[in-house]
Amino acid sequence: MRRALGIGLWLLAVAAALALFAFLPHLMSDFHSRDLARAGVFFIAIVGLNLLTGYTGQISLGHGALMAIGGYTTAALVVHEHWRDVWTIPLAGIAAGIIGFVIGLPALRLSGIYLALATFGFAVAMPSLLKKFSGLTGGTQGLRFLESSPQQVTGLTGSVTIFGHSMTQNHFLYYLTWSIGIFGFAFAWLIVRGRLGRVFRAVRDSETAAVSSGVNLAATKTLAFALSGVYAGVAGALLAIQDEIVNPLSFTFLLSILVLVGAVVGGLGSLPGLLLGALFVQYLPSLSTHVSSRSGVPDFVYGAAIIAVMILLPTGAGGLLRRVARPLTTWLYTRP
Amino acid sequence: MKRTLYLATALAGALALATVASGQRAATPGVTSTEVVIGGTIPMTGVASAYKTVGLGAAAYFRYVNAHGGVNKRKIRYIIRDDQYDPAQTIGKTRELVEQDHVFAIFNSLGTEHNLATRPYLNAVKVPQLFVASGATTWGKDSKQWPWTIGYQPNYRAEGTIYGRYVAKTTPKARLGVLYQNDDYGKDLLAGLRNGLGKKKKLIVSTQSYNVDDPDVQSQVARLKAARSNTVMVFATPKFAIQSYVYARKLGWRPKVYVNTVSSASNVMGIAASPQVAGKKQVEGTISIVFLKDPTDPHWTRDRGIKLYRTVMKKFKGTNPKDVYNVYGMSVAHTFVEALKTAGKNPTRDSIMRAATHLNVHNDPFLLPGVIVRTTAGDRFPLDQARLERWHKGRWVTFGGLFRVR
Repeated sequence: MRRALGIGLWLLAVAAALALFAFLPHLMSDFHSRDLARAGVFFIAIVGLNLLTGYTGQISLGHGALMAIGGYTTAALVVHEHWRDVWTIPLAGIAAGIIGFVIGLPALRLSGIYLALATFGFAVAMPSLLKKFSGLTGGTQGLRFLESSPQQVTGLTGSVTIFGHSMTQNHFLYYLTWSIGIFGFAFAWLIVRGRLGRVFRAVRDSETAAVSSGVNLAATKTLAFALSGVYAGVAGALLAIQDEIVNPLSFTFLLSILVLVGAVVGGLGSLPGLLLGALFVQYLPSLSTHVSSRSGVPDFVYGAAIIAVMILLPTGAGGLLRRVARPLTTWLYTRP
Repeated sequence: MKRTLYLATALAGALALATVASGQRAATPGVTSTEVVIGGTIPMTGVASAYKTVGLGAAAYFRYVNAHGGVNKRKIRYIIRDDQYDPAQTIGKTRELVEQDHVFAIFNSLGTEHNLATRPYLNAVKVPQLFVASGATTWGKDSKQWPWTIGYQPNYRAEGTIYGRYVAKTTPKARLGVLYQNDDYGKDLLAGLRNGLGKKKKLIVSTQSYNVDDPDVQSQVARLKAARSNTVMVFATPKFAIQSYVYARKLGWRPKVYVNTVSSASNVMGIAASPQVAGKKQVEGTISIVFLKDPTDPHWTRDRGIKLYRTVMKKFKGTNPKDVYNVYGMSVAHTFVEALKTAGKNPTRDSIMRAATHLNVHNDPFLLPGVIVRTTAGDRFPLDQARLERWHKGRWVTFGGLFRVR
């Protein structure tokens, strides 16, 4: 009986979340849905990073660079090949997945802080790499969608019509980003629940034990990197579509750090908290300028907030959610 | 069950918080009976923050105008957004100004790349992109394709042409080295220089470019010296212009320098000339062009315009009154006010665009005497007059007459 109630509550929560997703943009000003769409980009990247860092235990400080691969794939296809912007998203994911696989190779020999440094090097080198191949990437100036192929930007003049249903461009970006986000989240959830998720966790908890249980370490690690790369690539593509421009400044190592901060605040090794991680990364900078816009103050508030979260919520928002829900789940899943 | 209740309450609370009441929309966005709202992006922080006074000077002048009754009883509210000189941010902030703040027009947004990035959007949604703070030629030249965009200052190509002509005429044996920013702004100046040199193009012995996000221009300056150039064109923003003096001095090299208006503000030159930076000797004799009155020039102490400038600045804290970019900001704000006056009792986006393309302002107190702000439907370069100037003993001295730069 309680079991049924549990499933019912669970379904209700999913339905409520989906309803919230559908109606949220109509409850706020049009422009705010663009901010939310940006939070969605972080959400997707963070979910991807969590598969790698939270579940497989491989630290990556290079996810900003993988997002750059995705963003530039989209931009190059739109600007040079005149593709419709939204159709480039799958290719951007694949491209970043391949690069993710490649940067996963050092992970076979490096671990912990050494792997973090190797991936960090990749993130630091990325802006210079982008400037180097200026024929493809536009160098420092980057690639501007609007100038080269405005007809490929969905909703340039502010409205988009899908299946005869018209909406503003900001709403369109919100729905596009968060639909992909929800899909990616569900996919990650299925992976984590299944056999692959157990293999990932086994590698995280003890590589020796995992190998002795027959886990192929090399395949698992590179697969996690590739999978995580796909998420980052899709996030980067969506970022490029929202900005309508890519340049090396948008993909500095700071972006990698932001994604990691989001994953840690959201809670490594848990999924529901990541939503809060994404909102944290998106909204904290602008909230901290509300405190005072004098130079230095927003950075200070930002840093202090991260430290406060780490002290108060060592397991991130995910850990908090678990603790809050524990009485409920205990009650639901213990037989009377 | 209690928990679910809490959750539901929390959710409802969040929704209530998230709901932001949207204000009533007027017929023309940004224009009410008491107010005209305009906005623009300025690098208030970051690599190009030296330009923040372009925005602050304009804000100071609007405040002065508002204190004296505004325009047609409307106050001008000017929203400045910081884009940190990053074009990706410019797009976002400009959209925010248009879609969230519902501005009447985008005004005085700074930077070539930055305005290029937003121009297609602003023209698609038909929001005026007024008096772009960049001297790229395209603002005036490509008005057929981009009817909602107009520039302000003398264009870079024309400026380069002046230097080229002057060099060809006065020092036909010079060996020219060029340092330029690797984007449309730097390339415009370089193209103008080549144009002005005409048959003497071969005087250019070396061209070196830098990227905005490069840390310094040390290696570029060294290469210019290695090419045995004796005259250097500095087509760079203030930070890099100052660096080029510094690195030349470190190499024990003292070429004749031409510096573009983008960096020739006397406060920038003053920094370069200070002994702990590059020193007076290194900067002495530098040549540039000028179209604004310099507030530090004793020549203008009793001038009506500079007196007004000082009055406005006295009431406006937070910016250095010696900074000549304030004067630029005030001049462009003055022009906007003139345009708004002629745009009718109830200005629309169409009428302000018409006013901006039919300017004939003879009384701008912040410009050199004789400089007229003039546009017609076919001529979209508001400012096209300037004088040459030479840095001598710590300040600029103009020489030669006023000439038209096209």
